[in-house]
Amino acid sequence: MSKLLKVVLLGCLSMQAVWASEAKLEKMSVATDKPSLARGAEDLMNDCHSCHSLKYINYRDLLSLGVDKQKVDGWRGDAPLDSPLMSQMSEADDMATFAKVPPDLSLMARARDGGSNYVYSYLIGYYTGPDGVTGNHIFPETKMPDPLGISGATDAAQRSGMQDTAKSIVSFLSWASDPHESDRIRLGYYVMGYLFVLTTLLYFLKKQIWSRLK
Amino acid sequence: MEEVLNDGNRRNFLLKLTTVVGGAGVAATCVPFVASMNPSTDVLAKAVTEVDLSGIPPGGMHTVAWQGQPVFVLHRTPEEIAASTATNGVIDPEPDAKRVIKPEWLVVVGVCTHMGCVPNKEGPGWICHCHGSQYDDSGRVIRGPAPKNLAVPPYHFSSENKLVIGKA
Amino acid sequence: MANNIMTWIDKRFPLTSFVKHELTGYPTPRNLSYWWNFGFLAGIILMLQVATGIFLAMHYKADVGLSFDSIQHIMRDVNYGWLLRYMHATGASAFFFVIFVHMARTLYYGSFRAPRELLWWTGQGLLLMLMATAFMGYLLPWGQMSFWGATVITNLFRVTPFFGEQVVMWLRGDFTVGDATLTRFFSLHYLFPFLIIGGVIVHLVALHSVKSSNPSGIDLADKDNIPFHPYFTIKDLYGLGVFLMVYSVFVFFMPDSLIEPANNIPANPMMTPNHIVPEWYFLPFYAILRSVPNMVGGVLAMGLSVMMFAFMPFLDRSRIPGGAHYRPIYRLQYYLFLIDMLVLGYVGYMPPTSSTIVIVGQVATFCYFASFFVVPFISKAEERWLIKRGLPADIVALMEREKIDLDKRDSENLRRKGDK
Repeated sequence: MSKLLKVVLLGCLSMQAVWASEAKLEKMSVATDKPSLARGAEDLMNDCHSCHSLKYINYRDLLSLGVDKQKVDGWRGDAPLDSPLMSQMSEADDMATFAKVPPDLSLMARARDGGSNYVYSYLIGYYTGPDGVTGNHIFPETKMPDPLGISGATDAAQRSGMQDTAKSIVSFLSWASDPHESDRIRLGYYVMGYLFVLTTLLYFLKKQIWSRLK
Repeated sequence: MEEVLNDGNRRNFLLKLTTVVGGAGVAATCVPFVASMNPSTDVLAKAVTEVDLSGIPPGGMHTVAWQGQPVFVLHRTPEEIAASTATNGVIDPEPDAKRVIKPEWLVVVGVCTHMGCVPNKEGPGWICHCHGSQYDDSGRVIRGPAPKNLAVPPYHFSSENKLVIGKA
Repeated sequence: MANNIMTWIDKRFPLTSFVKHELTGYPTPRNLSYWWNFGFLAGIILMLQVATGIFLAMHYKADVGLSFDSIQHIMRDVNYGWLLRYMHATGASAFFFVIFVHMARTLYYGSFRAPRELLWWTGQGLLLMLMATAFMGYLLPWGQMSFWGATVITNLFRVTPFFGEQVVMWLRGDFTVGDATLTRFFSLHYLFPFLIIGGVIVHLVALHSVKSSNPSGIDLADKDNIPFHPYFTIKDLYGLGVFLMVYSVFVFFMPDSLIEPANNIPANPMMTPNHIVPEWYFLPFYAILRSVPNMVGGVLAMGLSVMMFAFMPFLDRSRIPGGAHYRPIYRLQYYLFLIDMLVLGYVGYMPPTSSTIVIVGQVATFCYFASFFVVPFISKAEERWLIKRGLPADIVALMEREKIDLDKRDSENLRRKGDK
């Protein structure tokens, strides 16, 4: 029977090889602490929100991350705290400008193969070609103009600053795509601990009960 | 179950411990299921209603929705205040001062304490057309069958002209 | 008090005797291995899926304009909604995993053989219902994968002779997968689990009539059977503990590994994602569908591939007990078949753009069906060879004790070899 297990494991490994086809993406580790997320929220509001909506996130959520109340009030204007982060552009304007509606970003960090790494690689993937035209390594057909201006970065310091901005935006997007992730992981440790104790008890009880047969 | 599992007369500590631990796990598993039926966060966000008072003239009344129920916000005139403070009500006596924060603003839940209909503003006070209960300008019941005065929700004034219902 | 109530009930309903006969005292072979835990696990997952599903349905809205939003409402606003949803989504995969192991065990030990054919066929029916339920449930989040998966699968019915187009329209209630489809899939997704519960009861009645098989493949004498309770209640519960640990790792730490990224994009009937794949449990069958170049042939091959297992009681003609345990050639064939399933799964996952993948898929599809069709010949030849060579002493002793004759001449032969 251990043979069967080995066969299954081998199968899993070969599937892993398929998923690894996203290897060309730049890796980044997502920040989960509130100050980083609040900074990411601000960067996103400055760099992305004029065109992109986040319809499953509202202004109250930003306050819960610790974003400054005055800034939030500035962004929301007259809108109530519970209104979602809708972009300022109407769909008609979007169509006129880009010939498509910029996608909602609420779930973006989970809506592409490669997840956060994809979004990060995409944001920093802009370059200026020899003919002076801006392109993107990750998504060549993109219609979005370089939001961080990284294609025009002149020196390494400027570039690494923009990479930090991209990281903070992606961290925020990752949180936005599943706000309960940290709760989930915390609860998961308790559940695993409990199950370990219970299963150990069941194991010894099983041994005790079956020992009567011999 | 105990008898079969218990090995003779020996008290089986391991079995009891496992049963308790397992039972606790089953009980804990029920928590998320039960909790999921409580109001969700977007519903709870509606727990507070803001009212702009600048548009309500003296003697005027606005009905606003708070947690899905009507709330009467009555801008009382000096005469109405005088009439309300003069008595303590009949069926459920209560001084007017205990029912308001600022005497010129009466804030009550517009749900008849008898069977839950919404009373109408008629003359001084309200009349419930379902069973004829009558309330005065302090929302106190002055004629049955309603047993209690109109409820006062928790509220506070966040500024001169802004009323927040739902939080004291 | 409790005694009085039980006496009162027992006069009117055989409760105590039923519990004693079918649950606590149910005679179970003592030599069952942990591979016999998976039926119980499947039952537990069915209960978990029904429970989480009922509570999710309290918040879900089956409407093309609302369902994607309602899932996000569950994930973000409903108290522990994320837990219920991840339990349900992970539970679907867990269900198939456990059922596949349950089937693999049956195939390995030959538990499908007489007198357990009906038990095996009711299980086959349950597998089909489970597949239908999982497929319909997958449409409900109304993501891109949901939509295009349902489009492809409903299109399979286009091969129906004469009425193909009408049948597809009837299934969808629309020209494409639309609001009518979503609403009826929700209705049926809620109904089917209860049909499955009914099927499970039939499966259990069949089991209790023929009793559990065991690794030796020989029905044991009474003295080798032990009461189900407490021995197998505790063994099943211990197995459940181990299973729940694996399940929880997926639910709490990697729930997204079982959800395709494209399903986090709302369904868009105007644009197919570049790479559409079914859930992992459908991959081998999907690979078979794609491997046959003709549409009708592909659909038939896929349907047949699921149904092939039902023919096993007829295909396996060997009378040697114990399945792969005592049959080296069947064992080899069994492992080759498992490897073939994995290859098919891999092919099903890969985009069918490279010719290598297509050829590998076609070879694996051929092997899949071939491994069923050779069973009657190989099993008979293997039986003759084994009898001639002599069976291991322990199985011969067991067969003699239980008075099992393969047939007269063979058994004499057997005894002679066994004596040596």
